[in-house]
Amino acid sequence: MSPNLLLPEETSSQVLRRRILATAGTLLLIGTYLVLVITQPTGIAEGLGQGVALVTFAAYLAAAVMLLVAVLPDLPVSTLTLIPVALALNIILGQFVGSVMVPLYLDSIGTVLVGFLAGRRAGAATGVLSTLIWSLFAPTVLPFAAGAALVGFLAGTAARFGALRRPYLAPVAGVVAGVLVGVVSAPVAAFVFGGTSGVGTGAVVAAFRSMGDSLLSAVTKQALISDPGDKAIVFLIAALLIYALPKRLSGSFDFIRRYRVLGQRGTK
Amino acid sequence: MPKSINLHPFTVLALTAAVVTMTTAAGLWWLSCAVITVCVLVAGWTGHLRRLAVLSAAILIPTFASLLLIHGLVSQQASGLIAVAGPFRVTEGGLEAATVLGLRTAVLVVAGLLCTLLISKHQLVAAIDLSPAPPQVGYLLAATLFLLPHMADKQRTIGQAQALRQAGTGRGLSGWFQRVRLRAVPLVLASLQDAHDRSSHLSARGFPAAGSHTRLRTVADSVTQQRVRWISLLCAVVGPTAILAPFWGSA
Repeated sequence: MSPNLLLPEETSSQVLRRRILATAGTLLLIGTYLVLVITQPTGIAEGLGQGVALVTFAAYLAAAVMLLVAVLPDLPVSTLTLIPVALALNIILGQFVGSVMVPLYLDSIGTVLVGFLAGRRAGAATGVLSTLIWSLFAPTVLPFAAGAALVGFLAGTAARFGALRRPYLAPVAGVVAGVLVGVVSAPVAAFVFGGTSGVGTGAVVAAFRSMGDSLLSAVTKQALISDPGDKAIVFLIAALLIYALPKRLSGSFDFIRRYRVLGQRGTK
Repeated sequence: MPKSINLHPFTVLALTAAVVTMTTAAGLWWLSCAVITVCVLVAGWTGHLRRLAVLSAAILIPTFASLLLIHGLVSQQASGLIAVAGPFRVTEGGLEAATVLGLRTAVLVVAGLLCTLLISKHQLVAAIDLSPAPPQVGYLLAATLFLLPHMADKQRTIGQAQALRQAGTGRGLSGWFQRVRLRAVPLVLASLQDAHDRSSHLSARGFPAAGSHTRLRTVADSVTQQRVRWISLLCAVVGPTAILAPFWGSA
């Protein structure tokens, strides 16, 4: 889509401010994660444990919001109109899958779709927004905004480096994304909520705890069991949906054209 | 009929943030119970009690069960042993930790959901539009909230159309996948096409428009509410620090 002639060009100070915000958000996320993993605070239910929960919650949420504010003004209108559709798809498909008792989440399918179609920045913004809006109905998802941003970011990165050029590459990229997202999200589950919010996942964490693992270690292992499989399926479904799009629609996204995301498939 | 509260949405959000952070920092079971009780009373007074109970139970029952499994059944604490059987080890400390963590989550869930139920989504969108937040945020929130029922209707209609042509009636896992595919593919393709069409119209009209613009909907606000918001935000930051300062000193 051609650039908008009605809007003023952005100044270099605005670009600099956004870069600083994005860098600060990323550093805050990495710093918080490293501090939690290195120090592994104990006694999460009393005294300082409450502080650790609050700091983890606030740092992960602030990092996600900083990344969102840095990315949002940069997104073209075609991506902005795509994001609400993706958010609604996350919720509707997630609810439909949940209603038929299949042990999958598929609640990040819209985020991955945006990452594949519009790139990693749009994917990350969709992940954060999806969590912020979903938190209106389930407040416990709020500190997982950074993990959701990472899903979108990794989907965009995978698409950029050719994960959609062959159908079998998409689930492989999903497994890698699932491992990273599981590792990053585990401290939130461990230190903010003291475990997981599902009975099945709680049983897995309890099994690891009974073998002598620390809470963070048990939650991380549980996440490494659940997330890669879910993300592999989500990445595969999103890839198949993008293959089904008419070429004029998928080709209207600058990201798809610039990085030849669909390879030969996009030129046929 | 639920009552409407004539408060600015940001006032409700700021109050909720202050209550949740300070209660979490305090970590006292009786305070958490008191906050939950007050939330329930407010929900009853405003006519949202049933919805609050259903939504909270859907989140909190599995959460409490999970915490009991993790901390209550396989406790790693040495003292206060209640029972041991194979890998299971129930201690007083473990049960207490599960209760405290469960109540911490319960405060966040109940207060957060009450906040959502009290705020009108139209007012929230208007308040975001009138705030210094980027104009894209208001659009994205409004579009998502109003697109959700529209897309849910569309998904039902697609399901009915597929049922009429007797497509996707298979059983088992393959039948489920076929049903998902027959619903999801038309839904996604149609929605992406709609989004693509909307983008050209919005782009032609100079979206996102910067600067101030007229809104027909007004959001009730006052100097008192602004003060309450600032004090609440201050409490949300300073309160937990003051509560936890003695622990930092001892650590």
